[in-house]
Amino acid sequence: MSIRGPRKGENYELSVDLNSEYREKRKDAIKRVIASMTVGKDVSGLFPDVLKNMQTDDLEQKKLVYLYLINYAKTQPELVILAVNTFVKDSDDPNPLVRALAIRTMGCLRAEKIIDYLCDPLQKALRDENPYVRKTAALCVAKLYDLKPELVIENGFLEQLHEMISDSNPMVVANTVAALTDIHSASTANQPSTSSDSSTAFHITTPILNKLLVALNECSEWGRVAILNALGRYQAQDDKESEHICERVVPQFQHINGSVVLAAVKVVMIHLRKVRREELEKQLIRKMAPPLVTLLSSPPEVQWVALRNINLLLQKRPEILSNEMRVFFCKYNDPLYVKVEKLDIMVRLAHERNVDALLSELKEYASEVDVDFVRKSVKAIGQTAVKIEEAAEKCVNVLLDLIATRVSYVVQEAIVVMKDIFRKYPSTYEGVIPTLCANLDELDEPEAKASLIWIIGEYANKIENADDLLTLFVDSFTEEAYPVQLQTLTAVVKLFLKKPDSSQGIVQRVLNTATKDCDSPDVRDRAYIYWRLLSMDPAAAKSVVLSHRPPISIPRTTVAPAVLEELIGEIGSLASVYHKPAETFIGKGRLGADAMQKRAVEEADESQLSTQKALQTVVAGQQSENLLDFGDEPSTDGGGLSGLAATQTMLSQPAAANLIAGTSSNPLDDLVSIFGNVSMQPMSATPTPAPSQAAFGFGQPPSAAPGGAFGGLMTPTVSGSSTSPPTQQQQKPEEDLLGLF
Amino acid sequence: MGIDGLIILDNSGRSVIQSGFRSTTPAYPILQIDAVQHPSNADIPSACCHIACGDLRILCPISGNVDPLLGFAFIRTFVDVFEEYFGGVSLAAVKENFDVVYQLLEETLDSVGHPLTTSHNALRDIVLPPSLFSKLVNAALTSNLAGIGGSGPMHGPPVGPFSSPIPWRKAGLKYASNELYIDIAEELRAIVNKQGVPLSSNVFGKLEANCRLSGTPDCVLTFTNPQVMQDTSFHPCVRLQRWTREKSMSFVPPDGHFVLSEYRYAPSSTLAKFRGANPSSSVGVLPSKEVVPVPFAIKAKFEIEDTAASFNVTFSSRLTTRPIENVVVEFSLGEGAHAIKCVASRESGGLGRGLSSLETGMSASSMASWAFDSRKKVLRWEIPNVPPSTHWSLQGSFAASTTPPRPSHALQVRFDIQSHTFSALKVDQLKITGEGYKPYKGVRGRSSGNVEWRW
Repeated sequence: MSIRGPRKGENYELSVDLNSEYREKRKDAIKRVIASMTVGKDVSGLFPDVLKNMQTDDLEQKKLVYLYLINYAKTQPELVILAVNTFVKDSDDPNPLVRALAIRTMGCLRAEKIIDYLCDPLQKALRDENPYVRKTAALCVAKLYDLKPELVIENGFLEQLHEMISDSNPMVVANTVAALTDIHSASTANQPSTSSDSSTAFHITTPILNKLLVALNECSEWGRVAILNALGRYQAQDDKESEHICERVVPQFQHINGSVVLAAVKVVMIHLRKVRREELEKQLIRKMAPPLVTLLSSPPEVQWVALRNINLLLQKRPEILSNEMRVFFCKYNDPLYVKVEKLDIMVRLAHERNVDALLSELKEYASEVDVDFVRKSVKAIGQTAVKIEEAAEKCVNVLLDLIATRVSYVVQEAIVVMKDIFRKYPSTYEGVIPTLCANLDELDEPEAKASLIWIIGEYANKIENADDLLTLFVDSFTEEAYPVQLQTLTAVVKLFLKKPDSSQGIVQRVLNTATKDCDSPDVRDRAYIYWRLLSMDPAAAKSVVLSHRPPISIPRTTVAPAVLEELIGEIGSLASVYHKPAETFIGKGRLGADAMQKRAVEEADESQLSTQKALQTVVAGQQSENLLDFGDEPSTDGGGLSGLAATQTMLSQPAAANLIAGTSSNPLDDLVSIFGNVSMQPMSATPTPAPSQAAFGFGQPPSAAPGGAFGGLMTPTVSGSSTSPPTQQQQKPEEDLLGLF
Repeated sequence: MGIDGLIILDNSGRSVIQSGFRSTTPAYPILQIDAVQHPSNADIPSACCHIACGDLRILCPISGNVDPLLGFAFIRTFVDVFEEYFGGVSLAAVKENFDVVYQLLEETLDSVGHPLTTSHNALRDIVLPPSLFSKLVNAALTSNLAGIGGSGPMHGPPVGPFSSPIPWRKAGLKYASNELYIDIAEELRAIVNKQGVPLSSNVFGKLEANCRLSGTPDCVLTFTNPQVMQDTSFHPCVRLQRWTREKSMSFVPPDGHFVLSEYRYAPSSTLAKFRGANPSSSVGVLPSKEVVPVPFAIKAKFEIEDTAASFNVTFSSRLTTRPIENVVVEFSLGEGAHAIKCVASRESGGLGRGLSSLETGMSASSMASWAFDSRKKVLRWEIPNVPPSTHWSLQGSFAASTTPPRPSHALQVRFDIQSHTFSALKVDQLKITGEGYKPYKGVRGRSSGNVEWRW
């Protein structure tokens, strides 16, 4: 607004008042200008008028003018230059508050023209006798670096900051650390490859460490957080030093501010890795519990953050809160997000001695109104049963009580959970099967239906009317969800293998329906596999379908071990709250920066970071392969799969197979095989003709050559060399197919 | 470091005041506000800590991989500062004192996200609180802003800010009358099962101090039974080594109100030093030694029919000498509850005249009252004062549109007890040295509770 507004209206009046000859009137006008600014009115036109009021003895008025300047410096940069003189003058003011204010404001203006004038006053301020001015100046250096890094380096501000770590005032030390950390992360982000890194990087050396440890106990809570974060980056020289750091940081557990506590926990967890003395390690872990429990007396938002962190800590150190389960009991009024976390932690803390209290608590939760929470509680009962063998029977009894309530979603969830218990303790709780089957009519959720069908199939020889029950599902086969169809199919085949005499008809029917009337390729393909297996080699079918399954177990961690290790080093941060590495939710540029930072550290001292990183990559690879690895599922160590995941994976296997088939290097084969199947299967009652290669690869007995199951699929030419018997037979169907063409 | 700024919203979700947000784009705060109001379309690579406070909502966006507790802790600190300056957090207070609030924002939060000065003592020096005088001049006397300024400390010889060698205490304070009050405030949090046996009970205690002492006094606070304080955390002024060595709190206090220490009282850990090494009995309740006794008992009887339910809840005080005050019992009646009829009355131990009116829910004889929040479906029963060993009851019925009615199985009970502490923590001595005067010292206890009673 270079042209003055009309000579009326609010802004005009303000302008008149700003130029008034009375002090009070001018100050009042400035306040009104700020008020207008607050509510979003454009008062930028008053810039020259406000600027006139900058030179004043009244500190409050000066602050308000500065506030205005900061707000409008972006839109009126050429006018800001008029203020420079006052700024420079103010930086020599006898009042330290004015000096600090001038320095801080100049740093905030972010105007190119001002910056050149900033260096000299800043130089002086860094050596000011007043600590308030010094600490303000320290932060200002970081801001200057953000705008014009070369000015910081040319003027030697960095060296000065490094000297200031030895300042007598702890607050100055804390702010200096914060500034250096800012510069460190900014420099690694902006110019990762340049060699100037060495000057801008904030390497914490042993003498610096000692100064930080001294300042830690004397500065404000925010200063402590900054120092603790810096300590977390320090690479301890030996275990003695790690112990020393831990011992010095532990008192911070007793700070009233929760973020200080979490930052201290982080530092201790990082340096604990190197602590060798066992009793010290135990002592440190024991001291960690009280502050974490105290955090739970905070408002729900803070509780949730604490709970997420506790959950992560427990995965690494299950012993931390082993006797504090009761603190995590849910109250009716807790928000759902807090309850769910508490539930998870309670299961983690469960052991033989406290399981009774836990179960009666979980049973209580299962009678609440919130459906989500009730389901999670029922699930928790199942997890407890899988986790603690001694308590399994009690858990089953609780589940039976819950089933007796006949509340639909409770019953369904309980049945899903029972399936996991059957997986873990095969042939132990057959007595409850009739009760489960009695609820068959009430099930309307696919997962519950699928679970019950799985149980029926698994114990088909013990359930007298298994074929009647399964017939119900075969009758409604095409209407069911795909997971239910898949389970029905498998269960009927199991039934047939166990009671071949009475169930010939039903197996024929289900195979027919699945291959003819079903539109899911997964269901259809699985039916083909079974059909073929049954017709060619019933013994092989038996060994595949009825093969021994490894018992499931509750995974101790929800993230991969290497990721867990990384997250433990970031306790308190968003990463540890989300349970995801920071790269996954912070922008791409950030990922590059972090990677570079890590590389720089690796180059510097070939630390264990590189191995850690490599490990991580391997683990990430393993995870992504999990889907593919489906073929050798029975031979994997059950530890990797959670109770639920195990069955889910089973269902998703065909999907994976299909996916791979789709991306196979030889798409024509697949096409051919699909058409071949559809056109040929129905004609021949006994399925001798060639199933697709994909189907064949999949049907390979999982016990053979783990990982090789898909080899045949991906590279059809190599498959012949595989040693497993079914693969050898593959040659024939392939020829058949070709012949057909 | 990651705190991007602070935004204060009014209860309709409009931004009232916000900090500079100088290192972000101008749209950033607007996006954050939008994300808080419509959580579903949040699509920004940062998180936002926010809490409701009075009629305001305070937002603190954080970006990068920072500790969210930092955001929450900063909001809490800012609220404390706000209360210290204006006596309470409200929209009116912000609008009345926008200039001071702006200055406070500037002083407490750096533009790149480092919290700066947040201690009241230091802030007082650099941001002047709105004084009574300036308010008179502005002809803007609002009742909630009073309480600051008038009786403040008289400043001695002018001393520069931050010249004090002790960061939490400013130098050169002078009071006409020197006083130090310490409140022992304890809160019981417990869950009690159907049989009236506590499943979990914890007492969280705080030592709240109000210090108005001249000069630089050195205080030593000793207790007759310090072992009841577990899991202690302290204001930075407390010398930790002294506490570990001899269990006495030695400190140079900050000026004004502050929390000296927080602790947890857990009888189990004091009795059995080795925590939990004793295998607890097989039933799902705590061994009686580990329980903090709940000062009341509740009997709840619900009779649930197809579309209606009736209930009878009695509340009896187990205390024999002190009254329980401000008792509030709340429970949800479940979705679709309506046609609530209740009678709140005093059953025994007084003049039970039984004069009660259904319409107002106010019983004339007992002063007990009830109200139903039809939005949250929560029935609230209040008894302002429960004399020792008295019994109170709430009888009522309601109809539900869902079948069967599903009232919550948990009654939430809140209460206060004056001059009482659960831990029986006793101050032995409060010694103040280093200054010539004889200060007035006072210690008192007060308890509150938040108990979930299941039926």
